[in-house]
Amino acid sequence: MTQHHPDTHTLMEYSAGNLSEPYALCIRLHLDQCAHCRSQVDTLDSLGAVMMESQPSADVNDDMFERILGRIDTETATDLEVHTEPKVRTAYSNALERMLESDINDLPWKRQLADVSVMDITHLFPDQHDRVVLQKLTAGGKALEHTHRGRETTLVLQGAFADNNGVFGQWDFVTLDNHDTHKPVALEGDDCITLSVLTAPLKLTGTFSRVLNPFIR
Amino acid sequence: MAETAAVQNVITKERSVSNPTRGNARAEGRKDPWSQLLERVGRHQDRSAYRELFEHFGPQIKYYALANGLSSHAEELVQEVFVSIWRRSSTYDWRKAAASTWIFTIARNQRIDMLRKMRRTSRETPVETEELWQIPGENENEPVTSLHRLMSERRVRDSLRHLPEDQITVIAKVYMEDKSHQSVADELGIPLGTVKSRVRLALNKLKVILQDSSA
Ligand SMILES: [Zn+2]
Repeated sequence: MTQHHPDTHTLMEYSAGNLSEPYALCIRLHLDQCAHCRSQVDTLDSLGAVMMESQPSADVNDDMFERILGRIDTETATDLEVHTEPKVRTAYSNALERMLESDINDLPWKRQLADVSVMDITHLFPDQHDRVVLQKLTAGGKALEHTHRGRETTLVLQGAFADNNGVFGQWDFVTLDNHDTHKPVALEGDDCITLSVLTAPLKLTGTFSRVLNPFIR
Repeated sequence: MAETAAVQNVITKERSVSNPTRGNARAEGRKDPWSQLLERVGRHQDRSAYRELFEHFGPQIKYYALANGLSSHAEELVQEVFVSIWRRSSTYDWRKAAASTWIFTIARNQRIDMLRKMRRTSRETPVETEELWQIPGENENEPVTSLHRLMSERRVRDSLRHLPEDQITVIAKVYMEDKSHQSVADELGIPLGTVKSRVRLALNKLKVILQDSSA
C-alpha cells in the first residue's frame, strides 16, 4: 500500500493535461498502483467534463460533420482494423520500462558512490526543461546529505528508503523543495530505485560537493 | 460575467440530461442520454447517434481548443477528437465513465498530442500520449465498476452551481486554458496560496478530496 500520494493540486493539473511529460509519467506510474488517487482522478476528469460543458461553445463549420464522416469512411475501408486491434503489449510492466526498453534492474547504471548509482534519462523527454534521473541506492546503503534547489519530485519504483521525513516504499510519491535537507538510507531487502524529476540541480551540503555529480540522492 | 452564464448553462443542460430516463429500469436510469448515444455508436456504428454527439460536444470541444490557444487548429482538434471517438467507441463502457467524462479525456489527450507534435524538434516519440494520460476504462486490469465513479459526474455537476465565482474562475483556467496553479496566480495577481485554497475549497465541496487525502 502506498502511503505518500501526490497532492490534489498536482492531480488536478494532471487531469487537466497541464503537467510536463516527466511529471505526468510519475503520476501515471503512481496511479497504476494507487486506487485512492485513481478514484480522485476519475472525479477530476468528470470535473473537466463539466467545466468544458459549462463554458460557452463555439460554432463549428457547417460541413465539418460531413468531413468527419468522409474520414471515417476512408478509414473504415483501409486501416480501421489496425486501430481496433488490441495494442501489442511488451513484456515490460509499465510505461517507464517500455520507454527504457529494459527492466529497471538491468539498466547501464553509473556508479557514483559506493552505494549510489544514477542514470540520467532526460533525453527520453525532448522539448521540455526538467531533468529526469533514475537513482539506485543499494539495499541498506546510505546517500550523502543534500539539500534542494528548486523542486524535486520522486517516485519510488522499487525497495524503500527512509529519511528524517519518514519511510518511503514502492510507488510512494515524494516532493521536496528548497528547504528540505535529507540523508536517505535504503532499507534492507531490495535495492531502492527511484525516478526523480528536478526543476533545478540539487546541491550537496557535505564536503564532497565539488567532485560529485549534482544528482545524488 | 462569463462565469454566471457558465453556471446557468450547466443548470439548463443538467435538466435536459436528467429528465428523460426517469421512468426506466434501474440500471438504465444510471445511464445518461449521452452515454446511451455513445453506446449505440459503439455497438451499431449508429450515425444518427454519432451526429447527436457531434452537435452537442463538437462546439464544446471547439471552444476548449480556442481557450487553450489552438486558434488556427481548433477545427482540426474537433475532427481528431471525433474520429477518435468513432474508432474507440466499441471499447466504451458506461459503467467505467460517463460519456462526457470519456469524451473530455479524449479531447484532452488529442490536445496534448497536437501540442506535442507542434513542439517536436526530433522525429522520435519515446512515449505515446496515452501511455501517460489514460482514457478511463481502457485499462483491462481495472475492476469493472464502482458506484463512486458512476455517481461522480452527476455529483460534480450538481455541486458546481453552488460554488462561488472566484473558485470556478480558478478551476476554469486550469482546465480550459492549460494553466498551472502558478500561472493562474500570476495572471490574477494573487498569491499561489490563495489559488490553492480556492481550489481546495471547491474540491472539498465537490467531494473530490477524500477524507484521508494528504492535500
Ligand atoms: Zn495515491
